Amino acid sequence: MIAKVLLTIWMTVIIVAAFLYADAAVGFPGETSRILFFHVPQAWVATLSFLLSMIASCVYLARRNPKADNLALSAAELGFLFCLLATASGSIFAKAAWGSFWNWDPRETSIVILLMIYGAYFALRSAVADPEKRRVFAGVYAILAFVTVPFLVFVVPRITASLHPEDTMNPAKPGMDPKTLKVFLGSLVAYTGLFIWILRLRLRLLNLEGMQEPEFVVREKIDPEGEKP
Amino acid sequence: MYSLEVINLSKHYTETLLFKDISFEMHPGEVMAITGWNGSGKSTLLRIIAGLVRPSSGKVEMSIQGESIPKELRRRFVGMVAPAFSLYEELTALENLEFFCKVRGIAHNRESSLQMMERVGLAENAHKFCRNYSSGMKQRLKLAQALIHNPPLLLLDEPGCNLDSKGMKVVESIISKQRQWGMTVIASNEKREVDYGDRVINLSE
Amino acid sequence: MFAVTTLIAVSFSIGSFRIAEADRPFLYAVLLWIILVFSALSGLSRSFVKEEEGGTMDVLKLSARPQSVFLGKLFFNLTLLGALELIIVPAFILMMNYDIQLPTFFTAMVVSGGIGLGGGTTIIAAMIAQASARGALFSVLSFPLLLPLMITAIKGCEKAAVGANSPGWPEVRIAVAYAIVMIVMSLLLFPLIWEE
Repeated sequence: MIAKVLLTIWMTVIIVAAFLYADAAVGFPGETSRILFFHVPQAWVATLSFLLSMIASCVYLARRNPKADNLALSAAELGFLFCLLATASGSIFAKAAWGSFWNWDPRETSIVILLMIYGAYFALRSAVADPEKRRVFAGVYAILAFVTVPFLVFVVPRITASLHPEDTMNPAKPGMDPKTLKVFLGSLVAYTGLFIWILRLRLRLLNLEGMQEPEFVVREKIDPEGEKP
Repeated sequence: MYSLEVINLSKHYTETLLFKDISFEMHPGEVMAITGWNGSGKSTLLRIIAGLVRPSSGKVEMSIQGESIPKELRRRFVGMVAPAFSLYEELTALENLEFFCKVRGIAHNRESSLQMMERVGLAENAHKFCRNYSSGMKQRLKLAQALIHNPPLLLLDEPGCNLDSKGMKVVESIISKQRQWGMTVIASNEKREVDYGDRVINLSE
Repeated sequence: MFAVTTLIAVSFSIGSFRIAEADRPFLYAVLLWIILVFSALSGLSRSFVKEEEGGTMDVLKLSARPQSVFLGKLFFNLTLLGALELIIVPAFILMMNYDIQLPTFFTAMVVSGGIGLGGGTTIIAAMIAQASARGALFSVLSFPLLLPLMITAIKGCEKAAVGANSPGWPEVRIAVAYAIVMIVMSLLLFPLIWEE
């Protein structure tokens, strides 16, 4: 309970600080650099959840404990959400800073690919009827998707940089002045906290649903000829 | 030598319960019959024993001389026939058998395969393509496929399906031969087939 | 068939326009790989779907080791892809007047890309054969996994066409690494998909 209250207060503080306390960074048009405090943590959480989902999937495949799969699913759902947020906030920034919503620079490309992976994950889950199989397949896909990530990280920057010689955004590592750094780190903590909070809620819900004893439909004993087999 | 133990097997699909707490033990020379209404789960039970389906709870243990056989290896010791099974239509019957021998890693040659075809009464039709086979012939071929590796455990789901009286004799001889050294589980609604069993489990109870 | 049709469509619609010389190597690389990938996606799931629909999957599960089944299917898919590439790539080059400076590099890229394509999609094919809504699902699942490979292959082909020779053919190496990783992971994970 206390944690929730603290988190809310903390988040509010960060939001206010993002606009009032830290200075707008030099070299960015207007106040746009403030997106840093929101966009980067969102992307960070999105990637973190993917990692978490993958690890939970491995655990599930090894132990077959449905709770592990619930964790994988919750992490994936949240990851998807934050990924959407990150894409949206990134787009807004792109429009404000560079004049167009979408540019296909390395970071943008990676986040879209992550979005696609999440989408595929959910599509797979909804296409498999048998729950046991669903969990296994989803787990396998999560691992396969994760394995392609190093290739993405390696390949995408080399490619897109040379395809589109535009300024690639790299506000993540400008020389941050102390005030900005403080707010940034604070936001990182706030978003991670938010993530953990919602994750736990979602996980609890899934676990509770799983614990319910399924109410079995009592099957009619059809007896067409009044004889036992 | 061999034994099969089925312990507290239950299976449910989402909201439908198929069966609950089925347990039995088997040793060489025994024949078990599983019977019940359509949809009572006979086929599913056999599939669980074969290792094709996971039970919702309980387990199946097959052992040789006390040593438990891991699930991945169980298929080497199990031969199964089921209405849902199919063999490759593009191949001839003989080619089908040879394929399964190869895939199972069983030494075979033209002679041994033809012998197997004889056993199920398909010798004259060995070189015909499966797509030209009648349903009875296909059933006989399925039986052959289940026997090529001499499995200690034979799972027969409606073995007499599509078979004429001659075909039924083939099934009978297979069961009696299997009795000499192995175990058989038959799932059926036909009284004749159920009667082959020493014991009967009725899933509808 | 899909491949040939697409190829003709592309050649027809683009061939008549004059694309700037400078842009061609890149654009053509992109088109080539789009044709290859989408043709592959429409054809590669067949090997597993056929088993499922024919009813032979169960007997296979009972008779063969999962690894053997996977390798067999992989081999089939690779052969299919090989044939596809053998037909499409030369046809593409001819029809589009694709000027390629470094043919060996180009060939190596196409071959390694093809192997990666097969390696990454075979296990997905196995999964969707046991699910519903197969055709669309196969593409949806495969595409995110194939993207790194596609990007690399396009880049490699572009370089080969332009004549920008990089020592050691890095793109080919990446494609090969991708293929190895995907095949090994698939081999490890396949038994989980195959056995219930």
